[in-house]
Parts: sequence; structure tokens; C-alpha cells
Amino acid sequence: MNPKELKEMLALMAEYGLTELEIEKNGFKIRLKKGGSGNVMIQREEMSEAHLVRPTERTEPKSSGPGSAKEEEGVTIIRSPMVGTFYAAPAPDQEAYVVKGKTISSGDVLCIIEAMKLMNEIKSEISGRVVQILVENGQPVEFDQPLFKIQKT
Amino acid sequence: MFNKILIANRGEIAVRVIRACRDLGIKTVAVYSKADRESLHVKLADEAICIGEAPSSESYLNIPAIISAAEIADVEAIHPGYGFLSENPHFAEICESCQIKFIGPRPESVRLMGDKVMARTTMEKAGVPTTPGSKGVVEDQEQALKIAKKFGYPVIIKAKAGGGGKGMKIAHNDGKLVNAFLTAQAEAEAAFGDREVYIEKYIREPRHIEIQIMADAHGNVVHLGERDCSIQRRHQKLLEESPSTSVDSKLRKKMGEIAIKVAKAVKYENVGTVEFLLDSDGNFYFMEMNTRLQVEHPVTELITGIDLVKEQIRIAAGHKLRVKQDQIQFNGAAIECRINAEDSENNFMPSPGRIDTLLIPGGPHVRVDTHIYSGYTVPPFYDSMIAKVIVHGRDRNEAIAIMQRALREMTVGPIKTTIPLLEKILNRPRFRQGKVTTTFIDTMLTPPAPTGAEKETV
Repeated sequence: MNPKELKEMLALMAEYGLTELEIEKNGFKIRLKKGGSGNVMIQREEMSEAHLVRPTERTEPKSSGPGSAKEEEGVTIIRSPMVGTFYAAPAPDQEAYVVKGKTISSGDVLCIIEAMKLMNEIKSEISGRVVQILVENGQPVEFDQPLFKIQKT
Repeated sequence: MFNKILIANRGEIAVRVIRACRDLGIKTVAVYSKADRESLHVKLADEAICIGEAPSSESYLNIPAIISAAEIADVEAIHPGYGFLSENPHFAEICESCQIKFIGPRPESVRLMGDKVMARTTMEKAGVPTTPGSKGVVEDQEQALKIAKKFGYPVIIKAKAGGGGKGMKIAHNDGKLVNAFLTAQAEAEAAFGDREVYIEKYIREPRHIEIQIMADAHGNVVHLGERDCSIQRRHQKLLEESPSTSVDSKLRKKMGEIAIKVAKAVKYENVGTVEFLLDSDGNFYFMEMNTRLQVEHPVTELITGIDLVKEQIRIAAGHKLRVKQDQIQFNGAAIECRINAEDSENNFMPSPGRIDTLLIPGGPHVRVDTHIYSGYTVPPFYDSMIAKVIVHGRDRNEAIAIMQRALREMTVGPIKTTIPLLEKILNRPRFRQGKVTTTFIDTMLTPPAPTGAEKETV
């Protein structure tokens, strides 16, 4: 969160007469609240990203808050809603649902997560472009694990 | 022996199970909710898998998520701890059908003992003394009144699907009974999803004495002595000890044999606890059986020298019991105090939050089972118990002195805990004399009458 963005948010609040604004992105959360006297109070929370503690697999890169990760405007991370195994395609011999760069619409199937022998289609809630696929085909995933980076359009 | 075990629990018991697995060379998998990311059991386990959002229903009670985690981590067994899914027969069955060993009794035993009415009936048939009461579920208030008349007041109304001291109502006369009956049904519905209740004669001033048993899958059953859990507030245990001042070796033998009879009657396997009510005449009655490891298991471990969690794992892996009844010895006295994140000086207001100052007591004969650490934030979503302090002495007086020493050293801040209340209990003459029944705490906490001087009896 840089000063320019902060100023923009404050301007937004004033323009729309908001008393409270909370923004969460890229492992960073900020809440701006208008005090009784009209002054804005700022609350900041840093959230560290989830990572599977597994000796045999690479640890997920941790995003540690402001100043480190490159700013990515309008990028949403789609996280796993369940525990299971990630599959990129409907079947081993078929094409992957999405690839890097693909444009997707809200409701499109992004992947399958298999749990207890049941194949669950994971659908996107947003429209946009697939910027990055964060997991590999056949990789076990936990709840809330980041799967896709989508550039919202 | 198992290669890898998943612990379907959190907090201090998850840490406990991980430690036992470590000793046995078994790899461990922790599961955790988003709120428990920084929890100790997650840090200690070999692998950790996030299974859901903070609420228990979405995480620690989320069977699909837990089984899924067990599958992707490729575990051979699941230890359910206590609470959560430990007494859920459905979960035990699902584990079985997924070829994952449920570390506990067979689903049938869990189901049978979970139905308190069926448990009573089975015990009666097996010749185990039960509290006088209704033969089965009490359908309506007319029946309730008839039963109360038959056995005499006071009576206690309990939920069939209940347990753990929840949803129980006492009535002292016809006038109070109908209201108590209807309220009990409503509460049972809300808490357990089943409004069926039964009625027992209420034993005044009882002692809550439970017997620890251990059974393998080859028909061998032993008992490991009693624990006196009479110190309870709203039916929740605060302090447990062994031996009980009301139980001599003769009574221990008698109760132990009945507890073994209970276990054999249901072909019980693994570790379990049979709860009895002991009245002032030395009569004891079967109350319920807990088909899981209990919170207060360390008390028995210190008296007998037997590690109950390791035994659970060994039994589940198919091994026979290593001890016979006559090899089990009961040494000294042990006391456990449960420390809750509640302000005992302010109406037990829950006190979650960050722990900035922590001093865990140590020294001879002091054991602390906990998941808290300096810098840890106690989340508001789960049980408020944050630590158990267990001490062992040559006799009860020494154990009390050691516990007082330990509680005095123990520092947890800035959150509030129930340590002040526990220290008060340990100072009370009645407690020190060993004259404690289940009404002790409530009497102690009731403020004295405003007029006239009240002689302190507790």
C-alpha cells in the first residue's frame, strides 16, 4: 500500500461520504475509519500467506506485506474451497480447463479438486484473465490454498 | 505399528498425541482451521493441512475435509482426541470404510454408549447397578410425574443424546417438574438435535468417581483405578484427583471389577472411562461411559506410570495389553487443575487474546500439558481450556502443596485465567479435608446472605 493509493482511498471516502472502508489484497489488509471529529483512523493488519509444511514439496513463497511483493493492481487470488487433489483437466487425456493468459468468465470451471473419490468442479466467481496457475496437476491442496491469480477485467 | 497418524483435533490434546507419536517414531499430520494457523500443534507436526474456516463446524467437525486430508497425506490411522469427532460413531464408521484405523473403540460401542438410555438398559441387563430411574425415554409430563412419584424427589432429567454434563435439569417437586421437563426437552433439541429425555433419581451430594479402563482387541480388559472429579462448575470439571478420599482399596477393587464388566458387556476396545455416582453410604451407580480418551487422563498416568495415549495407539495397531490387572500399581496421589482463559473473578467472562507473559511452572513432580506459548493468541472460537497442570506427590497433602507451588509460579498475562479460583479451592478447609461433593463449587461461589454473619462451611 503506497501513499498514492492511500490518498486515493481517502479521496474516495470523502467523495462518497463513506465512514468506513476496508481493503484486502495480496496478504495485506487496511481499514480506514472516520472518527467522530471527522479525522480518519487507520488500522493495518498483515496476514501471512498459507503454506503447506511439507518436507517433500516446495514451500509456497510467502508474501510478507507492504514494500516487498510487486504491486499487482486488480489481481484476485482464487483459493481452494476444500481439501483434496488438484487436477487441471477434466480427465488425464483431456486438455486443461485453463492456461496462463486465458480469458475466463464468471461461472467457468477452472479446475477439479478431488476429495474422497468425488470430483468437484471449482468455478470462478469473477471474469478476467488467468495471470498465473499456482499449483501443479495432481498436487494435494489444503483449504484456502491459493490456486490461480486472475487479472480482473 | 502405524507409519503415519493424523490427529483430528487441536489445542493441548493434539500436542499430547503428537508427542506420543514422536516417542513411537510415528509421523504426524495436523489439521487446522484458518484461526489455528499459528497453533502449537501445527508447528510440531511433521505435516499440517488447513481444513477450513474458524468455526468448528467448518473445520474440526468437518468430516469430509478431515478424511480428505487423511487421504492426501496418506495416513493409516486417525486419532480423534477428545470432544469434536471422538464420540461420533458416523465418523468412526467412515474411517473404517476408508481403510483408516480410528484410534478408539469400534463404532458400535461408541453408538451404544452415546445413547444414554440404551447404555443404561444394557448395563441393567448386564447386572451393573444403575441409578434408579425411568426404563427408557420419558415421553410426556404425565409419565414424568409418575416416575418422580415412584422413585421420589429430587429427580434429574437428562438428554438421551447428551453427555458431558450438558442439558441436565433437577426438579424437587411436582410443581417444578413439568417446567424442568419441558425445558430439558427444548435444550436437548437445541444442543444435541434430539429432544428425548430420561429421568433418574437425583442423588444428593454425590461424588463423581470414574474408573479408567483399557481393553485390547483380544478380549483383555484392565482397570487403572479411579479419578474423583467432584469439583465441577455447571457440570464442567475444574479439578480432578486420584485416589479419591472416598475410595479405599476394597471399594476400588469392587468398582474396578464392575467397570471391567461394563467394558466386556459391550465388547469394548481401546481406552475408555466408566463414570459412577457414589453416594454417602458407599453405594455406587453407573452413570455413563465415555468412549474416548479423557481430558484428565494424566492423573491416571502419574499414578500408574502407564502412558494412555501410547497404549491407545498400540491397541489400535493390534497389540495385546502388556500388563495384567495384578501388575498394575497405584502410587501416591495426583491432582490436575484445568486452566481456562476465563476471568474467574469476573463471572467467568471469556478472556481470549494474545499471551505476552508466560511462565510455565516446573520442578519436581510438575507436569504441564498445554498448547500455549509466549506470543500466542488464544482464539475465541473454541473451548476456553488453555492448560492442564498435573502434579504428583507421595500422598494427597504433598500433592496439594506441590499444586499450590505450581499455580503460584504459573503466570499467564495479560489475559485472565481461572488460576485465582483454583488457588481458592486448594485453600478451602473442606477441600483439604477431602470432604468434597459435586455441590462444593456452587456452594463456594454463591455469595453469602447479606443479613447476619454466615459461618463458612466450605
